[in-house]
Amino acid sequence: MLAIPSSIIKDMIAHARELAPHECCGILSGSGGTIAEGYRITNILASLSEQDLKRFDGAKLSDLKRLSPEERSDIAFQMDAREMAMAQRDIRSKSLDLLGFYHSHTFSPARPSQTDITIAMEFESYRAKLNFPEPFHLIISLEHPNQPVVRAYRIQDSLATEVPIHSLP
Amino acid sequence: MIKVRIPTPLRPMTGGKSEVEIAGKTVSEIIENLGSAHPGIKERVYDEQGEVRRFINIYVNEEDIRFLTGKDTPLKDGDEVSIIPAIAGGT
Ligand SMILES: [Zn+2]
Repeated sequence: MLAIPSSIIKDMIAHARELAPHECCGILSGSGGTIAEGYRITNILASLSEQDLKRFDGAKLSDLKRLSPEERSDIAFQMDAREMAMAQRDIRSKSLDLLGFYHSHTFSPARPSQTDITIAMEFESYRAKLNFPEPFHLIISLEHPNQPVVRAYRIQDSLATEVPIHSLP
Repeated sequence: MIKVRIPTPLRPMTGGKSEVEIAGKTVSEIIENLGSAHPGIKERVYDEQGEVRRFINIYVNEEDIRFLTGKDTPLKDGDEVSIIPAIAGGT
């Protein structure tokens, strides 16, 4: 179970809608199983060079290369590392933990893609050494624009398991 | 020697190793020496202006070098440097 204030759920949906058709992304702080605060992070995918795009795996990379830089952010996101570091710093100063990552799927369901799982496992490989707790991965789907769906997952051993969200008043 | 953690996308350049030991007194020396030992890595970490690419965080122990003294951040024996691409994903 993941408890999230309804204001943060609303803001994640608003963020996704503002950036559509591009994917939005952000991080969530909190403690235990309760989210306290959300941070919008810039999706810098469109500004990545061909060299930078190599951080994505084979299948995604060839999809991305077929698109214009603008269109690339419709099917993927890359968080700005500087903004992430600043948010992490703020989170630490409030004695909270980095608890989750969120991003939107503009045209597809709120389920982690193969790329999401691969990169979550990449994070998993160094997470403990940097003292981050196991994160929740949240996806906001705008597949049905009038009925946005938000789902949370744990990703372990390349498997995504849904965690029910409890919306706090 | 400083232990340097190599992210998954750069491991083909270190023969698959997730950690390598590199000599250097600052972060910038570590990246230079890492680039000499494993050609191609430096270009993936720095952009054309020689700055850390916008999607990469470099940590010394648990602190991002942007909040220390950047590439000039001094290192001592036992410090660990982690090169970490910020979270990404897709549809
Ligand atoms: Zn995704």
